[in-house]
Parts: sequence; C-alpha cells; structure tokens
Amino acid sequence: MAKIIVITSGKGGVGKTTTTAAIGAGLALRGKKTVVIDFDVGLRNLDMIMGCERRVVFDFINVIQGDAKLNQALIKDRRLENLAILPTSQTRDKDALSREGVERVINELKNDYDYIICDSPAGIERGAHLAMYFADEAVVVTNPEVSSVRDSDRVIGLLASKTRRAEKGEPPVKPHLLLTRYDPDRVARGDMMKMEDVLEILSIPLLGIIPESPTVLKASNTGTPVILDQNSVAGKAYADAVSRLMGEQTEIRMFQERRGLFQRFLRRTA
Amino acid sequence: MHPISADSAAVENTVRVSPTVPFQIRGRLFTAIVLELSGDVDDAFYAALDAKLKQGAAFFAYVPLVLDLEKAAGKVIDFKLLVLEMRTRRLMLVGVQNASPEQKRAAQLAGLITLGAGREMPADEALRLGAATSAAPRGATKLITEPVRSGQRVFADAGDLIIMGSVGSGAEVIARGNVHIYGTLRGRALAGANGDAKARIFCQSFEAELVAIGGVYRTSDDFEGSLLKQRVQMYLDGDALRIEPLK
Repeated sequence: MAKIIVITSGKGGVGKTTTTAAIGAGLALRGKKTVVIDFDVGLRNLDMIMGCERRVVFDFINVIQGDAKLNQALIKDRRLENLAILPTSQTRDKDALSREGVERVINELKNDYDYIICDSPAGIERGAHLAMYFADEAVVVTNPEVSSVRDSDRVIGLLASKTRRAEKGEPPVKPHLLLTRYDPDRVARGDMMKMEDVLEILSIPLLGIIPESPTVLKASNTGTPVILDQNSVAGKAYADAVSRLMGEQTEIRMFQERRGLFQRFLRRTA
Repeated sequence: MHPISADSAAVENTVRVSPTVPFQIRGRLFTAIVLELSGDVDDAFYAALDAKLKQGAAFFAYVPLVLDLEKAAGKVIDFKLLVLEMRTRRLMLVGVQNASPEQKRAAQLAGLITLGAGREMPADEALRLGAATSAAPRGATKLITEPVRSGQRVFADAGDLIIMGSVGSGAEVIARGNVHIYGTLRGRALAGANGDAKARIFCQSFEAELVAIGGVYRTSDDFEGSLLKQRVQMYLDGDALRIEPLK
C-alpha cells in the first residue's frame, strides 16, 4: 500500500514543484516505486521540472474524466526506472478536478507504488484542497520570511481539519517542515527569519533545510531534479530530507553554498 | 470552523441532512457590533465614523452591525441612505435596537430588523437587561490543547477559553469570559465577548495583532514596545484597555 504525501505551502513560489521533483526522484533513487502527480491544473509545471514535457500525451484530467486510461497518462522517467510522472492539463482549470475522480486515480495507483507524491498548487482553494485531501503525510514547504510562515501556519491548520483523515476521525495527517531558500548569511544579517523562529511559530517537526543555491534554478531549467546533482549543496540537503521522510533518524545538516574568493573578500570588507 | 477541538468536531459530525427535506433550521448565536447613536446622522456623524474606522477598519469590516437608538429617541433617520453609506464603509448594518415606534417602522421599511426593546415594552426590556448582565452565570470552560493556526477561529461562547499552545498570526480566539494563552499570542484575542467588562486576557508572550475586552479594542499600532514578548495581562479600566506585564 502506497504512502500518500502532499507537497504544500499555501504561498506560491516557495519551491513546491522543485521539492516534489527532488523528493520523488530521491525516493526512486532509494529503490522505492514512486509516482508524482501534478495538481496544478492549468499551470502545468511538474513535467518541465522533471524534463518530460515533450512526452505528455494524455494527462491527469483525461484520466479523471474517463478519456484515457491511467497507464496511457503515466510517463516513465528515463533516468530512474522506479519513477513515474502523472502530468496535469495546461488547458483546463481546477474545476476539472473532482474528489471522486482523484480518489479513483489514487486508489488505482496505491497498489502499484510505494509512494504517491501530490504536488499542490498555491492557495487553499479546490486544487490545493484536493491535493491534500487524501494525504497520509504532508511536506510543508516554507521560506524563511513572514508571509510564507503565516501561509504555512494556515495550511497546517487545514491539514488538521479539511482532510479525509480529519473528517473520518483517523490519526491526523503528519506534517513535516521543509525550509527552502535558506541563506545563513542573510539570516545573520537579519534579512531572513532564523530557523529557530520559524520552528517556534509553526511547531511541527523539521524535515530539512534546503539552502538557497543557483544549482536549483539550473536544475529546473534543464529539467533535472536537483537531487540528481549529488555534488550540489541543494542535492545533498534534499537527499537528507528524503532519508528522514523514509523514517531514518539522521541529523539535520546545515549546508551552505561555497562562495568564490572574490565574494569572500567582499564580505570581509563589508 | 473549530477543527482543533474534539467536541466541536463531534457536533459537526452529528449534522445529518434528512434526505427528504433540503434544509434544517437551527438556532445560532452570532456576535455583532453595536453602534450607539447619540446625535443626528449628519456630515459630522460620518466624519467621526471615518475617523474611528481609520484606527481599525479591518476589525469592523463585514461584521454584523446593530444601531442602538436609545440615546437618539425622536431623531428622524433616513435608514436607506444610512445603510448605503455604511456599506460603502464595509459596515454591515443589519438592524436597530431600542428604536421608537416611528424609527422601527422606518427601519423595517429599509429592510432592517428590529432587535431588543423600546421603553414602552417592559417585558422585552427585562429580557435585554438579563442578557446584558455580566454577572449572568457562565458555562463551561473550553480547553484547546493544540496551537491555534492562522485562519482558525476558536469561540468559547459560554465561559473561559484556555489555549495551551500559541495563537498564530491571523488566528482569532474569542471568549465570553477570560482568555488564557499559555503560548505566544500573535493573532487576535477577544475576551468578554458578550460585554463583560470584568473579563481579562492573559498570555505567556505578547505579540498580538489585536486585543479586545467587552468591545473595547486596541491594535498592535499602539502597543508599547516594552510589552513585546512579555508575559502580560489585559483588563478594562473604565473605557481604557490596559496591558500590563505580569509580575
């Protein structure tokens, strides 16, 4: 039986899709059969980050509406045999999602996969609600700044009240905090919130800290999940997060982008 | 929505819509704001209203508002115009209270409901006084053991409210009695929601956006910086809401 994990945040642009791609690929690297589903109907991005946008024929909405079979819409990753992508539609909107349709697709996937990763759209409306509705666990992606933290707080509240587990009175959805775009230098300067302050406000367990890094943008543009670049600090940080998500007790390491000589010189004199 | 308290979740689960009747009728208590009118509704009134709203317009926005006419007996008011003017200020005038028979008729013609009592109706008056008396027995204390998250609203409609965790920015905790917060208050806390001026608010760490007791409120704009992150209590001293560190 698959474990269903939603990648969510409330706020947009914090790194949900990057995280979905990285965690999906990371679990597959560790030998787990994993499928990633794009719930951002109308703003299809996950397939691009995963580098399979040219292979999309049928999508999630086609399957929900019965126009295609699930196997026709699932795209096997070319790099990782354990990884599959269920892309969404770029031409439809969130109203095309129905709870029954989503449930049917998830139930069908449950038997064949170890992990189902749902990439939530931003906001708290229909798309985001259905992305989290069937989840067992949630990765709450948060940037170290006040509006992102407040939106995450809102989403954590919704996970505890508006999900299937909450409605059925089952054990609640387990939330994990993933701090992304963390820059220790900017934290030291007081431009960003400290990890401790974010943790104190949100009070959920920390899954990992992903440092701000130019390799993330480069990975997105080349359609390679950043976790596959195992020399990059962001790749290493995501690999740690995947281990913890799999239940391993590893220490949280704080990675930082190494700066060039010139930048180091600038900082000393600043 | 009270997702964090088990008891209210249980109540929601018992709501079963009958398959034959497409609705259910229930009694429910709502909180409203009362505006006591003591003069004419003229330009000076609107100017004073706008000045007041500048201090905390968001707090009143889209909340049901009742106009109390006890101190405006005999005043002739154009209710239709008043409703429109209020709407442009995001104030939702829904009814009047303590209106004279003429004012009542005019208000009803403007689509407003008439609440409470006029002086010539002693039975209703007694009811109103009974409801407003702060010494009326309080009910059970509500205990919340989880943090109250942004966007959530917890309402203890009978008595005190105890929050063991923090109240997030954008969250709201309201009690008929006292509010006790054993975490950080970052959102809004309202005590004495039924007008009890003796209610108090206590918190372990004070970073609130808004606090109110018995309808008197203060926003973070006029909190003293020295109170920030302190253990504090809040109480009413006449019409002034005092915030003091706990020793």
